[in-house]
Amino acid sequence: MWAAAGLVLAVLLPFAASQGDSYESFMDVSTMVGIYVCMALGLNIVVGMAGLLDLGFVAFFAIGAYTYAIFATPQANNFLHFMDFPLSGNTFWLFILIGGLVASLFGVLLGIPVLRVKGDYLAIVTLGFGEIIRIVFNNMDKPINITNGALGLSSITPPTLFGIQLLNASQFYYVVLVVALLVLFIIRKLEASKVGRSWRAVRENEIAAQAMGINLFKTKLTAFAVGALFSGMMGVIFASKQTFIDPTSFTMLESITILVMVVLGGMGSVPGVILGAAVVTILNLQVLTEVSNWLTDLSVNGGIAIPDVLSPSKMQRFIFGLLLILFALYKPKGLIQEKNRIVDPKKFTEAGENAHASN
Amino acid sequence: MPMLQIKDLGKNFAGIQALKDVSLSVEPNSITAFIGPNGAGKTTLFNMITGVYPPSTGEILLEGKSLLGCKPDEISRRGIARTFQNIRLFSKMTVFENVLVGCHNQLKTNVLTAVLGLPFTKKEENIAEKEAYKLLQFVGLAESLNEEAGNLSYGNQRKLEIARALATKPRILLLDEPAAGMNPRETRELTDLILKIRDEFKLTLILIEHDMKLVMKLSEHIIVLDHGEKIAEGNSHDIQNNPKVIEAYLGTGAVAK
Amino acid sequence: MLENILRTLPQVLFDGITLGTVYAVIALGYTMVYGILKLINFAHGEIFMTGAFIGTAILLAFSSLGWIGTLPIIILVLVAMFLTAGVTGAIGVGIERIAYRPLRKAPKLIALISAIGISFLLQDLVRFTTEFANDGNFYLIGPELFKSNINVPLSKMASFLSDASFKTSFLFVLVTAVALMIILDVFVNKTKWGMAMRAVAQDRDTAALMGVNVNKTISLTFFIGSALGGATGVLFAVQYGTIDPYIGFILGLKAFTAAVLGGIGNIRGAVLGGLIIGVVEMFAAANLSTLTNHVIGAEYKDVFAFIILILVLLFKPEGLLGKALHEKV
Repeated sequence: MWAAAGLVLAVLLPFAASQGDSYESFMDVSTMVGIYVCMALGLNIVVGMAGLLDLGFVAFFAIGAYTYAIFATPQANNFLHFMDFPLSGNTFWLFILIGGLVASLFGVLLGIPVLRVKGDYLAIVTLGFGEIIRIVFNNMDKPINITNGALGLSSITPPTLFGIQLLNASQFYYVVLVVALLVLFIIRKLEASKVGRSWRAVRENEIAAQAMGINLFKTKLTAFAVGALFSGMMGVIFASKQTFIDPTSFTMLESITILVMVVLGGMGSVPGVILGAAVVTILNLQVLTEVSNWLTDLSVNGGIAIPDVLSPSKMQRFIFGLLLILFALYKPKGLIQEKNRIVDPKKFTEAGENAHASN
Repeated sequence: MPMLQIKDLGKNFAGIQALKDVSLSVEPNSITAFIGPNGAGKTTLFNMITGVYPPSTGEILLEGKSLLGCKPDEISRRGIARTFQNIRLFSKMTVFENVLVGCHNQLKTNVLTAVLGLPFTKKEENIAEKEAYKLLQFVGLAESLNEEAGNLSYGNQRKLEIARALATKPRILLLDEPAAGMNPRETRELTDLILKIRDEFKLTLILIEHDMKLVMKLSEHIIVLDHGEKIAEGNSHDIQNNPKVIEAYLGTGAVAK
Repeated sequence: MLENILRTLPQVLFDGITLGTVYAVIALGYTMVYGILKLINFAHGEIFMTGAFIGTAILLAFSSLGWIGTLPIIILVLVAMFLTAGVTGAIGVGIERIAYRPLRKAPKLIALISAIGISFLLQDLVRFTTEFANDGNFYLIGPELFKSNINVPLSKMASFLSDASFKTSFLFVLVTAVALMIILDVFVNKTKWGMAMRAVAQDRDTAALMGVNVNKTISLTFFIGSALGGATGVLFAVQYGTIDPYIGFILGLKAFTAAVLGGIGNIRGAVLGGLIIGVVEMFAAANLSTLTNHVIGAEYKDVFAFIILILVLLFKPEGLLGKALHEKV
């Protein structure tokens, strides 16, 4: 029921808001919330459900974004000659899947060496991987110009739907909404299945999970791959929405931001992580900027000198660092705690069987 | 053919010989006990049978087929299940889910079929759920199926571990100190439960236990380990009168020469 | 091609060893804390960075007091290092007290999250303070202390070598870093406190039963590790000049790699690992472009530490000098 209410709200809210500039910026934030919700849900599989600390999650987002951006700009002409780029906006829909799969493939390639070793090192290796991917994208402008290096890729083709180019945030909002619902559906299905149970069993106790016949390596690798898939998919959407990407969009700060969403919301808890992603995105994009602007106004108009260093929009690291510590110390289960599936024992008793049959 | 056969098994931990040339065999549908003082190598033996540690020397055969090089999960799939001395439940998951994880060997679902919700996925999940519930009834935990496993009492946690191990449909069940920390009443219940398991599931049982009353009552075959070596084996009568065993437990000079 | 590589090799070694000693001393901090708590102290790279800032600030203060040039430089730097070590040591103890100790029994994941939080917090605190004190700039340039370069006329000794040169600070960095490592080694292996640290690292509960004060020992470990890290920060600032609040992150990553390469928990291993990583990195920076025919250049030098880390984890997870550990089941 809650889900239905949320859905109605998500579809109708954009209509309720006023039109015009503020409407567009509202829709822009809502679209970003949707993108981050999906990424946080992906990271939640890895960190929350499978208990693997991934500190370089943004790498997969970057891979997805670049996968689309390279082919949706003339960039691909530099190394592919059998057809003409950029590809049309119609291919965007296919690229959501391709971007996700490419990211997933990298997740597997990274996971194969790393997930065999004990969990402690995973955090540091993924941290390194996040940095490396950024360095590689930053420097792949030579000898063959693949990523256009630090200059980034601009004029990325926006998606086309039934011949209409999607250009503004309000249109993207619905694209993101549909993808987010799909992601949510997949996660709900996985969570309640053997796959989700195996993830959590591995998180709870590796040795016992193994003794129950669970292949640790395969289970962790699946978590890694599915998490990366979602991140890569959102990367494609992000690239097409921004129409410009460069390596600075994919720093460690981004990875930690997504981690904050998961920890704040509640590791392993799907509703919690959705809440966490919404709160952190709004904090990041709206609250911090607005407070900063307000402070600037104050020092310009009010004559109260507030030095620029105090500007809250620069304090993200401080705020996120503090949130991580406070939640680790005082609320490790997050805002909405992970809940276990409750089964009705009647389902298994004679009476329940009959009731079931007569239905 | 013996159910389980161990030949000249040895284990070195960084120069310390935890187990030395142990050979033994376990008959199908029997109850065997490994006993011995602390540090005798009993749990190390369990860990090698279940593939947690690779043996340094020797061989382990399950119905004549070697288990060497198998990972713990493969060994579980080949039909050996266990419980742990220091209970290892999935403590944040429910009692029911713990047992369901035990059923995973019988489920063929993967990421794709789970997402698509194919009919066979639903069907096998339903079968597993029914089975898990039956097992919980069997060990007497059906009432607490929705409780978090970590919140169960100590004795019930041990029972849950047994139910979870049974869910893997083992042919051999290893119980590592099942009665540790139980009061006399719980221990008596456990004794009955173990006998019931053997009879209803047609299982081969091996247990490590310090409670000698329980060991003597249950076991058809007892193997005594001390300092990593097998010092005696036989039925309860043989063991109780074996001077080497008494010496291992009570120290040199305990037996009048 | 080989000739070229050989020609520049002495210079690569000088630079590599300088950088390697820095990695080595930071790696000591990681290895000590990991040894005793089995926790990757993400904040350690940031402790190093904080040390670099505190040390530079002290040296700048000396400079504005007009002491530089009148008093012997080596004494001034040693004083700055000593003061910095005291402060960062105290910060380290504080971090353990506030962010790690309450989580000692919590799942490892939670402690790691707290550690990464501390790391971010420190980065921004230093950035904030520096911008406040330095006209909105987040980087800091230290006073130039060692102006001269020493030329080593290798080409006269062997015609196939180029001349190499290094800043005089190189000698200072090398000597001080080696001295720190020797003192630490003696401390850990020969003193009562060192024995307590080793005991707690091996088995906390048993050590407690034997009368070792576990909390105090862990605090001491953090103090020493963080003091060393901070002092190394000063050395780094003296050697390389400009510092910013984000140097600790990638340097920490490499130092951690050094610790893993040497065998985590092993002090001599950390030193060996640091030197190897330093030399490999400098070698890559100098020769990558030549070796790959300009396909990949020096920009990729940071990738090497990471590749080494993955290779070590795959093929020798216990490291070069470490012992394989078994988990008790």
